[in-house]
Amino acid sequence: MASVPVPGDVSRKTVAMHDGFLRHAGYRWLKIASAIMLVSIVSYLFIDVSPRHNGGSWYGYTLGTIGALLILWLTMLGVRKRAMTPGSWSLKAWTSAHIYLGLSLIVIGTLHTGFQFGWNIHTAAYAFMMIVIISGIFGIWFYATIPQALSDNRDEMTETEMLENLRSLDRQLHEAAQPLSAEHAALVQQSLEQDPFGGGFFRRISGKYPNCETRRAQADLRRERAYQPRMGGDDPLDKVDALLQKKEATLARVRRHLRLKAMLQVWLFVHVPMTFALIASLSAHIISVFFYW
Amino acid sequence: MTFIVRQIAVTADGREIIRANPFSEPEIVVGRNAESAIHLPDLAVNPEHAVIRQLDDGTIEIDSTSGQKFSVDGRDKISATIDPSAGAELGFGGHVISVSREDDGIILTVKRVEALSDSAAEREEGALYTLKGLLPGKRMSAWSFVGLVLVAFLIWPIYTWATYRGVEERPDQFHADTMWSSGALSDAHHALEGDCQACHVDAFVTVTDTACMTCHEDDAHDHAAPDRLLTSMGDPEGFARVGAAFAAAFNKPRGRCVECHTEHEGAGAMEPTAQKFCADCHDGLDTRLTDTKLENASDFGIAHPQFRPALLLKPGGKNPPRKRISLDEKPTEDNGLKFPHDIHMSKTGGVAQMGRRLSAKFGFGPSLVCADCHTPDSEGVRFKPVDMQEDCAMCHSLAFDEIGGTIRTLRHGEPEMVRADLRAYYRATGPTRPINLGGMKRRRPGEANDARVASDYARAVRFRPTRANLAIQEVFSRGGACFDCHGIVPPATRGSVDYGIKPVTQTDRYMHKGWFSHEAHNDEDCTSCHNATTSKEARDLLLPGIKTCRECHGGEFETASDVPSSCAMCHDYHADEGAPWLIREQQKEKQKKPEKEIAGRQ
Repeated sequence: MASVPVPGDVSRKTVAMHDGFLRHAGYRWLKIASAIMLVSIVSYLFIDVSPRHNGGSWYGYTLGTIGALLILWLTMLGVRKRAMTPGSWSLKAWTSAHIYLGLSLIVIGTLHTGFQFGWNIHTAAYAFMMIVIISGIFGIWFYATIPQALSDNRDEMTETEMLENLRSLDRQLHEAAQPLSAEHAALVQQSLEQDPFGGGFFRRISGKYPNCETRRAQADLRRERAYQPRMGGDDPLDKVDALLQKKEATLARVRRHLRLKAMLQVWLFVHVPMTFALIASLSAHIISVFFYW
Repeated sequence: MTFIVRQIAVTADGREIIRANPFSEPEIVVGRNAESAIHLPDLAVNPEHAVIRQLDDGTIEIDSTSGQKFSVDGRDKISATIDPSAGAELGFGGHVISVSREDDGIILTVKRVEALSDSAAEREEGALYTLKGLLPGKRMSAWSFVGLVLVAFLIWPIYTWATYRGVEERPDQFHADTMWSSGALSDAHHALEGDCQACHVDAFVTVTDTACMTCHEDDAHDHAAPDRLLTSMGDPEGFARVGAAFAAAFNKPRGRCVECHTEHEGAGAMEPTAQKFCADCHDGLDTRLTDTKLENASDFGIAHPQFRPALLLKPGGKNPPRKRISLDEKPTEDNGLKFPHDIHMSKTGGVAQMGRRLSAKFGFGPSLVCADCHTPDSEGVRFKPVDMQEDCAMCHSLAFDEIGGTIRTLRHGEPEMVRADLRAYYRATGPTRPINLGGMKRRRPGEANDARVASDYARAVRFRPTRANLAIQEVFSRGGACFDCHGIVPPATRGSVDYGIKPVTQTDRYMHKGWFSHEAHNDEDCTSCHNATTSKEARDLLLPGIKTCRECHGGEFETASDVPSSCAMCHDYHADEGAPWLIREQQKEKQKKPEKEIAGRQ
């Protein structure tokens, strides 16, 4: 949570009426970015470059310079976000500008290519740029939709509460399982010993845990007891069963939470490293142009 | 001896509470059952896991009653005997029992060492709900990518460049700096695709003409002297000044080959020179290059001088003197021939009638047309010179004798042979023999008449050869076969018959600076451009002026005209005898797609 501030949370503190990073200031940056894209496209169509549009014409250099500076500025969000300030250059305003100007880079960058692509550093830089932008678009989508789902799932529990909830259930399970036979106790023990935050990245992002020991313990106990006569009110296995069921429900909530949190973060694991790859390839792109001038 | 079991519990704030229970039995049970002497509330422990009993020699024996193992000093055992005075540590599930001896008995200290469950273990909650540890760190992968990209796309190509400095030709293999190529080279330069340094010689120095001239020493002659080119280009104005300032700042001098010949524009032919590059200099050229003889031109439709064909000053010889004269001056040209186009092309009159008579043999139509006499050259661009034997002799016969059904003709182009042939004719043939000579037919009475006929005939025979001179004179004079079409050089001395023919030059190309192909215009009638039907003299220059061309050809940007025409349609910067680059490329295209060409023609 610490690494990625949700813009909504930031604004709530200082701005009376909440408006998100997308609709900030009446879509100011959407309008500015649209104007930039429109001007780029219209000028591209009307400016005659001989023999055809390419990155090496005066127009191409102009677009390229704008694009490169824009990329550097967009990267600065990573520095800027670590200092939250209010006002028209608030972090939210900055994020809003980052998104819309970043999207306008699709037009600026593509027109800069003059639609000439090849297996070279220039197209590589373009490809890195597009990967960054597309991962960013995923980020916008996740940030626009996931916080609500996260909030719905949390049901006003904090993450610490979720952990404490699990610990408490584990303690109760441990207590309740004391009278059990060695075999039954082993089943419960497996549930206790499994790391609720374990499993790899794909478990986390898919929310599917086929090796869940809690579920297995419950299923095994139930299968075993299915044809056994009920002993009356004080069968310790009844209590264990109820506790396992509670634990499973809590685990489901935690896993949904983990999955949503993972989605909220995972695009950044593409976005950020690719940004650096982009800046490196952009440097190579620019240096190569002047090197073989 | 007694067992003293000390249970150590840890409170929430970390304090340890120790409860001690003495057992005097020689044997105690370790298990999860609450009744066990050593009660371990641990699911990993069996309800009755093991027994610990005292042996007589003071040692104790631990025996698993459940068949489940326990550990002694970390080693798994099913049964073990230990000396309490030496001490040991027994492990049951998440609990540890330390064994020791004190004065009053054997001390068994029980303590939970493992967390009750995984979730209960200490955790760094900040990172618990993040992807930390599940994916390679952002920082680490970011720097890895930076390193990887810089090495692959920057350092490696620079290393390649440094390795091949001064090497004339690179070996045929992959070279890393080709990753910098912004696009394929044109077909002509395809061989240089892997050899970046053929053109990009020095780092951060733009491609120079020297690099081009390494190969193009012979074929890329200058359009004009470089200093005159720069002068005629003039100083940049307005927005161009900004571009020029940038070019100067980034060390791009003006007037280099590559300014027009842009490369890396993709495979295929090099693009023809854009009109802009011509007009840069030729639009208002006289204001900058004040001593120029060239007229200003910016666009064919807007500003282009009248054509100035190279006209003959005097016909004859291999390279007759010529002068370029503007068609506005309505010049005429003496090519040494006499030829009234109007009479020949008239739909009525003797020529047309003669054509109709000979139509079966020569395929003439109702009257003569241009193609009856003018033959296009092999490419259809221009016309072959009119040939007397081929194109005129159908009507303009040079026949003078018939022997056994074979017609003898005078030799065209060889006046001395004409003279010789005529002399031979008169020498070899006699005068017509009088029918009344030496016979009874048509005889007039009287000896004297016989004698007169005989002597007249003898005189005629005697003087027959001298008649040749008269015939020669006639053929070269008004009414004679030669005189009809040619200018005649009279004999040098009176009484002599060594007539000569004035030299003739047929011009096949009048405009050497521009290109014109008749084949490209063959949808048009000849007479729509060449006003031949009213031309009475061969002196008339039948070349159309620019006004006629502009009926169809507009300038480059006059898209409303039938044929928007850039400079490159007729002119080439490095022009040779052939068609301009633009036209050649168009023709190549046509050859590639013949169906389209045919469809377009119909």
